[in-house]
Amino acid sequence: MRPLAFWVTIMLAKKRAKTIGFLMVLPLLMVLLGLTLYPFGYMVYMSFFRYSLASWEKPQFIGFSNYRDIFRDRTATSSVDFTLLLLAVAVPLEVLLGLGIAFLLRDTFGERVFRSILLIPMMVPAVVAGIAWKMLYNFEFGPINYFLSLFGIPKISWLGTQVFSRLGVILIDVWQWTPFVFLVLYAGLQSLPRDIVEASLVDGASGFAAFRYIELPLLRPLIFVLLIIRVIDALKIFDIVYMVTFGGPGSSTHSYSFYIYKVGVSFGWDIGYASALSVLLLIAVMLLVNLLIRVLRLKETLEL
Amino acid sequence: MKRGILVGVVSLLVMFCAVAWAVNLVVWSSPDNADALYELAQNFMAQNPEVQIEVTPLSWEVLYPRILQDLTSGAGSFDVTTWDLMTAGAIAPGMLDLDAFAREHPELVDPNFDDADFIPTARYVYGFWREKRIGYPFYGAAMFFFYRKDLFNDPVLQEKFKAEYGRDLAVPKTWEEAKEVAKFFTRKFNPDSPTEYGIALMFPRTHTLFYMYLNFFAPYRRSPEGIAKFGEVDLDWGDYFTATGLPAFNSEEGVRALQDMIDLMQYAPDPLGSDYGETLEAFGKGLVAMVPQWTACLASWKESPALQPFEEKVGVAVMPGGAPVSGGWGLGINAASKNKEAAFRFIQYATSKEGDKIQWLKYRIGPTRKSVLEDPEVLADSPWLKEAYLASLEGASHRPRIPEEPRLEDILVGVLSEILLGQQPNTVETLNLVADEWKRILGK
Repeated sequence: MRPLAFWVTIMLAKKRAKTIGFLMVLPLLMVLLGLTLYPFGYMVYMSFFRYSLASWEKPQFIGFSNYRDIFRDRTATSSVDFTLLLLAVAVPLEVLLGLGIAFLLRDTFGERVFRSILLIPMMVPAVVAGIAWKMLYNFEFGPINYFLSLFGIPKISWLGTQVFSRLGVILIDVWQWTPFVFLVLYAGLQSLPRDIVEASLVDGASGFAAFRYIELPLLRPLIFVLLIIRVIDALKIFDIVYMVTFGGPGSSTHSYSFYIYKVGVSFGWDIGYASALSVLLLIAVMLLVNLLIRVLRLKETLEL
Repeated sequence: MKRGILVGVVSLLVMFCAVAWAVNLVVWSSPDNADALYELAQNFMAQNPEVQIEVTPLSWEVLYPRILQDLTSGAGSFDVTTWDLMTAGAIAPGMLDLDAFAREHPELVDPNFDDADFIPTARYVYGFWREKRIGYPFYGAAMFFFYRKDLFNDPVLQEKFKAEYGRDLAVPKTWEEAKEVAKFFTRKFNPDSPTEYGIALMFPRTHTLFYMYLNFFAPYRRSPEGIAKFGEVDLDWGDYFTATGLPAFNSEEGVRALQDMIDLMQYAPDPLGSDYGETLEAFGKGLVAMVPQWTACLASWKESPALQPFEEKVGVAVMPGGAPVSGGWGLGINAASKNKEAAFRFIQYATSKEGDKIQWLKYRIGPTRKSVLEDPEVLADSPWLKEAYLASLEGASHRPRIPEEPRLEDILVGVLSEILLGQQPNTVETLNLVADEWKRILGK
């Protein structure tokens, strides 16, 4: 039987170690609180105020008025349409294309060269990509319409019609982000145990069957994580819209995040209303991600 | 040897002191007037070596929010800025009152400044917010109607036009006339047309649509019937409002203006997908016969191979309807600036007769002074300027200059774009939706 003093000493040492540990983490915590939690809390707080720099008035508490106004705001509600369309079309396309390219490119001739080339769109800054695509989409002098005309296809107004402007933005998003999906899934494919696949091939499975029934299930957790990352990104789409279509024509490509930018910055820093819009976006992202986690049973898959 | 070192050290010391004691002026500017401002700054520094000026161009979308952010915080990050006339109401509280400053510092006032020389409309819209003088007129602009002079003067085309429309081929004075001429110059409707399209139009969902619509609405708003219905135009509230500060566009006149735009769209290359750059290119490459545009375009068209010889091929006229939208910039001082004296002397120089003349002759920035329009060198360079420019600026229509302008603009542009796209009917009821939102924002 050890004396009581021994246990007290042990406990004090443990407590000291914990305190030292906490003190060592404290600077990081402070940075995290200062840069993330404080601005977030302040944003939620400001969403209950009428506060615009252009009015030169002090913030005025107005309760939930900003939130009520959002549901009466035509631009805000119409911005949701395109954002959802992007989610529904661009994200699945990116995942499917990324997966397909990763599968097809593996073990092919010139794999390294193609892999490097495929990553270029992801490395191009969105602003540069936007300018380049705007030139490509030019009605009269753009290369896309020129090449289409070689096949007898009349000029397309890529930025002046609802269908094509939406298609145009989706194409750019797919062009820019499929490489990211490809890269992650390609790395995932490389890390899978080859012996199982080879065993299935010896047993007579085709290459596609091995992919479909062995590799794809093993890749599933990675695909789900990618899906969540892309969903969050798609909900925040701003740069491409800003550079290429500015939300038009009409409200065809007006994304919700782009509207937050306009309210928060271009309208003269309408901080109260932009905060309320941002809080709603955050809630939507959280709900959607939670829904995905539940539907895809990500907790079990990733053993969270 | 020792003497050489001593001289070197003293020289370095003098240079260091000169730099340390120099007044450093930070000037913010939009890109379209930065080049001119840079040259004027160089001239000013040559005459005033104790002042160092740094001109920083900021894009149109960024400049206004940055100015507002700085003024409201009192940070004083810039001393002088160019400000778009539409932002007058929002930035006014943070800008220096130049008249009051001049009264307090009479020794700084340039005796040759000649305030009365400014064109009256320019003096107000690029200078005042209500009673406060927040800038001197720097960049004058009203939209012009550019046309292919060689095509309008072509006897064969004149004959064909007369045979078809029963009147002479002339630069359109109304939008109704513009529709006929645009149709005549569109190959789809006239296979013999020398140009592919009649007119280049920019109707994107950006601030461009807000001013383009005014080119069509203002002629109705300013007609005798319009004045009787809506009252006189207030220079702060602009043509979009009635004399009592209520929206005026949600009316039959507003619908007719939109219909004019819709009618013309079939004669233009991709009007909803085109903005400033695309229309500039369309006219510059000889694709269209006419284009409503700003004066600064002249500088780039002058080099265009398709438009040579320039004087014979490019004509300038007042906008059809006679009420082109005004643009332009004032030059003012941050009230939080620590270098107000130097800033005041600089903006007087930049907006002087000399500065105004340099801006037109080298950068095609519209003059704001009457004397420049009468200047022999300017008259020789641009004989059309005085008549077309004065008529355009004096009859110009104006956008609101109130603090809520950006938000009102975005709401209207969204619905206008939907109407032009065919997503919404062109009716008073549709425009009423916008007017109701405007009234809610303005608390009316």
